[in-house]
Amino acid sequence: MGNVILEVRDLKTKYVTRFHEDVFAVDGVSFKIEEGKSLGVAGESGCGKSTLALSLMGYYFPPLHYISGDIIIDGKNISGLDPDAVRKTVLGKEIAYIPQAAMNALNPTQKIIRFVEDVIRAHEPKADKKEIRSRAEARFAELGLPREVLDKHAVELSGGMKQRTVIAVSTILSPKVLIADEPSSALDVTSQKMVIKMMRELMEKGYIKSMLFITHELPLLYDVTDDIMVMYAGQIVEKGTAKEMVFDPIHPYSHGLMGSILVPEEGTRGTTLTAIPGTPPNLKKPPQGCRFAERCRYAKDECRYHAIVERPFGEGRSYRCLIGVDQLREVYEHE
Amino acid sequence: MKNTLRQVFHSSKFLVGFIIFLLILLTMWVYPFLNPGNPLEMIGVGTFARPGTYFSLYDAVNTPAETLRLSDADDKRVAASMSMEDRVAMVEWFTLAEVDIEGLDINDTDALLDLWFANYDSSLKLKGMTNAKKNYYKRLDRSIREIRAADTFTLMHPDEDSGELVKRSDISKTDYINVGQVTNVKRLPLGTDNFGRDVLKELVSATGTSIVIGLIAGIVATFIGLSLGLLAGYVGGFLDDIIMFITNIFTVIPSFVLLILISYSIGQDQRGASVVAIVIGFTSWTWTARSVRSQVISLRNRDHVNLSKLSGHSLVRIILTDILPYIASYVVMAFILQVSSGILSEAQLSLLGLGPKTTEVPTLGLMMNWAMLYSAHTNGSWWAYFPVILTITFISFSLNLMNTGLDQVFNPTLRD
Amino acid sequence: MKGYRKYFGKKILWFFITLIAAVILNFILPRLMPADPVSAITGKMASGMTDASAVQEIYKRYEAEFGTNKPLLQQFFIFVKNLFHGDLGTSFSQYPRKVSNIISSAIVWTICLQLPAILVGWLLGNLLGALAAYIRKGFDKVLLPVALFLSNVPAFGMAVTLLVIFAVKLKIAPIAGGYAFDMIPNMSWRFMKSVISHYQLPFWSIVLVSIGGQAVGMRSMSIYELNADYVKYARFLGIKDRKIVGYVFRNAMLPQVTGLALSIGTMIGGALVAEIIFSYPGLGSTMYSAVTAADYPLISATTLIITIMVLIVTFLLDIIYGFIDPRVKAAQFDA
Repeated sequence: MGNVILEVRDLKTKYVTRFHEDVFAVDGVSFKIEEGKSLGVAGESGCGKSTLALSLMGYYFPPLHYISGDIIIDGKNISGLDPDAVRKTVLGKEIAYIPQAAMNALNPTQKIIRFVEDVIRAHEPKADKKEIRSRAEARFAELGLPREVLDKHAVELSGGMKQRTVIAVSTILSPKVLIADEPSSALDVTSQKMVIKMMRELMEKGYIKSMLFITHELPLLYDVTDDIMVMYAGQIVEKGTAKEMVFDPIHPYSHGLMGSILVPEEGTRGTTLTAIPGTPPNLKKPPQGCRFAERCRYAKDECRYHAIVERPFGEGRSYRCLIGVDQLREVYEHE
Repeated sequence: MKNTLRQVFHSSKFLVGFIIFLLILLTMWVYPFLNPGNPLEMIGVGTFARPGTYFSLYDAVNTPAETLRLSDADDKRVAASMSMEDRVAMVEWFTLAEVDIEGLDINDTDALLDLWFANYDSSLKLKGMTNAKKNYYKRLDRSIREIRAADTFTLMHPDEDSGELVKRSDISKTDYINVGQVTNVKRLPLGTDNFGRDVLKELVSATGTSIVIGLIAGIVATFIGLSLGLLAGYVGGFLDDIIMFITNIFTVIPSFVLLILISYSIGQDQRGASVVAIVIGFTSWTWTARSVRSQVISLRNRDHVNLSKLSGHSLVRIILTDILPYIASYVVMAFILQVSSGILSEAQLSLLGLGPKTTEVPTLGLMMNWAMLYSAHTNGSWWAYFPVILTITFISFSLNLMNTGLDQVFNPTLRD
Repeated sequence: MKGYRKYFGKKILWFFITLIAAVILNFILPRLMPADPVSAITGKMASGMTDASAVQEIYKRYEAEFGTNKPLLQQFFIFVKNLFHGDLGTSFSQYPRKVSNIISSAIVWTICLQLPAILVGWLLGNLLGALAAYIRKGFDKVLLPVALFLSNVPAFGMAVTLLVIFAVKLKIAPIAGGYAFDMIPNMSWRFMKSVISHYQLPFWSIVLVSIGGQAVGMRSMSIYELNADYVKYARFLGIKDRKIVGYVFRNAMLPQVTGLALSIGTMIGGALVAEIIFSYPGLGSTMYSAVTAADYPLISATTLIITIMVLIVTFLLDIIYGFIDPRVKAAQFDA
């Protein structure tokens, strides 16, 4: 087992709405990422995966609020630190973020190099302008980005170029963890490929040590990440390696989710795509029992009343369901 | 629709604006019942009578009196008759006569008079006192004493035959009449204006006219803007180019200037309130045209519009059922702003002397113009102009609040 | 630089097109109307005359004086030709004074009053709006309604109110005029002092009126920008809040420049009326006396000059905007 870079223990965060209602968007999430590994997070929109990304930064501003849990980066627990310390020592340096809408992530009226200066100086106040420029030029060249980009405004860049610039700027301080929230979903296919290639390069060249990749596009996860976890209504319902998750999903929700996609592997030809009926529960008042019970084809009465814990099985896998693994596998066989 | 309305009325800004506007409308509707008559009737002969309750002196004399013995009546009379200059002069005299005035409050008439009667001596020769000043103090002393002395007025009237004055009655200082029993009482809460007209009655009528002017201007501007915007946005192409060319020109050329030119050219005689309103509408449609056009362009290729096109619906029908409902909120918002700016435009035009002709109806602008022409602001007749300014401000404030409220409902990014 | 050239070229072209349109409108509008200014003037001059032929004589004389006896197109060319020579005709009420002469002395007062006042009002309004957006609670609750209310006080209303409070009641400012009535304009210190003391009330009344509207606009613009994606992204890279607020205000300020360009016409209109209240010797008062005296050439010239002033200011604001917002340059490349 490799060196654990990111460990999250029972993390809980909530949104507070305008009407002072709590929405428990991340409700007891735990996982680990080892050095050199990437973890994918899949789930429907609104399942809390983007909130998870925001919550992992350890830096909360309204409407998002921290409730409890630990975020441990390379042995250092950041969840107890005060916000300014997190900003100075963690953000951008230990953990970096690539936002969902990279199109608007850059200040439209600022030159890229000025922004790079601001990022580096937020952590190294004494950094000299010339040195920053040479560092930025070197890194951009390493990642295959033209150096002219540095002297342009965000509005002058194409969509794909903007996203690659965001990735390069996010990782300019070589953070240990990179959290990418749908970094490629808004792009055309060519740009998507370049972005994915760039993420791989970051890992290979050691500019980042681990990555959490969030997307609703499952085939992409299978392509990019080593492990996958599936999220539903603020909780993890199943974890496993990418291959296991795609070809042997156990939890009824993962099973349904995987059933609704095509994976370009042999043997998938001819399978029919199915959608899961129903909508996720209201997270203002999460159900007491299994959160998926309302939509689950296999749910029994007790599913609705028992709080369900994550149960380990196989080699480092876990799932959150009352029904046994073998029983579920058997049911799926006969469908 | 119902849901949208509920949302709109949930916005506190909209609600406050709506209530203020409603109150103004209500006053306009109710007040004429309480105080009927022509708002331009000149009831006063002088200019700028102070706000207050006026009762006929003639009737008051004929009203039976009650005797009331009020201990402070004399003091009040004296206090009212003593000007600030008199008081200051008395203090000056004390200082010259080396009277101890430690702790004396110049506004405390009682203390001042006590000190005065105790010390004043007209024969006293004071250093540096001129003769004129000395006489002034004598006069002051006499007038104060006269007011305090028990005195009665005698009312006389000429005898019809001989023409001699015949005593009719005595009016004593302790005679009081009940205001409710006086036959003719006129309440003028805002006094009269330069022509002797009841300002409040005039103001209520003017507010109504100004709102109507705003509404007409708003309707004209919205109609032109909406038609041009729809045409430019929906038809597009060359027509769009031409309409946008014209719109852009009229956006940059200040509408204020056009308004002046047109109003002046129309001439005083033709310039009724509705003509002014229409002219204002004609010069302020550009904003509506631009925003409607950009909205229509974004709607033009939506699925439901395409579906209607494929179903062979007529242009009018597509615009009425597939486009208008989607831009209605913008149009309403633009309309509200235009009403408010129309009222302001009328006021500014009138101040320049280019307002509606003056003989028919009062408008807020005309009232302002009259007040300024007769220097109400420099001679202290605040009631002639300040309520007008306040009314314009409140109308425009309420309309803008409604607009901001609507904006927050329809553009959620602006929500707090 | 190519993008800029295209942008400026377009703006210059528009400036000339609108200028021509303004001149045409200024010429044609009064002539389209049923009432003929010459007969109005004749009517005024000939009031009391009973001899029809004498009235006719007067009419003919004024027709010749104003050139209205010639065909419309020819009149227009004469009008434009005279305009190029700075000849705006002869004033009727101050005969035989030249209109250009009257206007050139008034325009200095108007520019010196309105330009600084509107600029100061704009700056203060933006500052207050930004503060309201940033501080929000409390401050915002008090400031916003006040600013909203203030922005709805008509310019002349503010002028009268200030005049009554400071000049009539407190007697700390002069009541009317641009300088003490017993002085002749010269460069002496005494005259300047008088000018400055007469300047205060008109200046502050324009400032106060413009503050409200600008503050309200800037506040909502800043709130919009504070919720922008780049703010969240910059925060997650550990950039200090103060720096981010700098980005936000710069970006919120830019649309305010365009907003100023769009509203400058209305603002100047209001300020001109405020001039009348103070009998300030600018274009507003000139226009007022021209209207009262039915001085047609003077009215026509004043409106033309005001239009040209507004056009120039709008043009300059557009040019400034082109330099400070990089988005303008980028948009020209796209087009």
